[in-house]
Amino acid sequence: MRCAESPRVQAYFDGELDALSAADIERHSEACAECRELLEDLEQMRTALRQDLTYATTPPALRARIMRALDQESTVQSPRLNAQRLTSWRPRPFWKGAFSGIAGTAIAASIAYFLLAPTLTNPLLDDLVSAHVRSLMPDHLIDVGSTDKHTVKPWFAGHADVSPVVADFAQQGYRLIGGRADYLDHQRAAVVVYQHGSHVINVFSWAATKAGVPKNTTRNGYHLAFWRTGNLEYCAVSDTGWDELNGLVQLLQDLGAHDNRE
Amino acid sequence: MDDRRRRFEVLVLPHLDAAYRFARWLSHSPGDADDVVQEAILRAFRGFDALRGSDVKAWLLTIVRNCHLTAVKQQQRRGFVPLPEEHDAQDGPAMIATTPDPESTSIRRDEERTLDRLMSALPEEHREILVLREIEEMDYREIAAVTNVPIGTVMSRLARARAALKGRWLQEAEGEPHAVR
Repeated sequence: MRCAESPRVQAYFDGELDALSAADIERHSEACAECRELLEDLEQMRTALRQDLTYATTPPALRARIMRALDQESTVQSPRLNAQRLTSWRPRPFWKGAFSGIAGTAIAASIAYFLLAPTLTNPLLDDLVSAHVRSLMPDHLIDVGSTDKHTVKPWFAGHADVSPVVADFAQQGYRLIGGRADYLDHQRAAVVVYQHGSHVINVFSWAATKAGVPKNTTRNGYHLAFWRTGNLEYCAVSDTGWDELNGLVQLLQDLGAHDNRE
Repeated sequence: MDDRRRRFEVLVLPHLDAAYRFARWLSHSPGDADDVVQEAILRAFRGFDALRGSDVKAWLLTIVRNCHLTAVKQQQRRGFVPLPEEHDAQDGPAMIATTPDPESTSIRRDEERTLDRLMSALPEEHREILVLREIEEMDYREIAAVTNVPIGTVMSRLARARAALKGRWLQEAEGEPHAVR
């Protein structure tokens, strides 16, 4: 027959009991031969397992393979960052040989990227992502909290340089929760905040410049969708999937086109 | 190297060996384990920004476990039937020491092989929980997070796993009286 205390004896052995209960179990196992034996068994098994099974470490070839995969992953995610690597690049032993070719290609590609896409060399993308991340901190998300577009839109008049499209798409799953002003690209950008499920989507808007609209991209795990309506440039940022983000973008674009016709 | 990558290397990569060991115990072959670990690290890198709190190891091992389960499902869909675990056990230890121990005597190696074999022959949920508790030294809360079960289940499963390993150990000792105490 098993002693009723054996679950607590195991918990005691695993260091999961508070001091009082631990003292209790220590007293109990002095009196109970079965629990004393259980403790000895547990100790014996732990010793054997730790002695005999803990040797395995990642083989160097696998580690190198993973580092290469990580590097390719960073290259895909943020081409601009390769340029920084060009200045702060430090060679690693296992990058020598085969990998130097890949790194060279990546650097060449990023230089080409610079020349071909000058709009991405500005710090706008980083600004957008950090503004989004900052907004997720407590008390930073919204300056004016309202689900009513007639409250949010006029608020921007005194607080931002632009007056973006504002609407509540609660029925389509994008609830308007408020607005905020952020400083972006040397102007006071208007930010309309939507909630989609548990995700926050920030829709930034600012006066369009002559440069083209940046391409949609992913930064630090956040998707950034860009578009232009009239003389305003928009960027929706979120950690939702692309489909969810594009759903909102589509709704806003349709509404913008409608507003422009009126 | 950018900040994000550097942060990842500082915070997550120290647990690469734990991820590898865990994958080796879960997978049927070393090749499978390699693929699982690589996929897990890439997934971790992609989802790194969502990481809240400080329990990086439990977070990474959870990803390893999910990658393993996905890989098993894919193999089953492709009609690949893994060898029964008992066969694996007879083919050789699931985990081979990569660092040779110069002190090893042949008796010690026998014991290692025996223990490896006994562990390999355990049902996956028993093997998994023993590795997390005894090798990776995780507490109940962390194990609950990695294996996605309540703490109560962790306690009862751990007790069953320990009893099962002890049972097999005793059986082995009866069969070959001089191999194990």
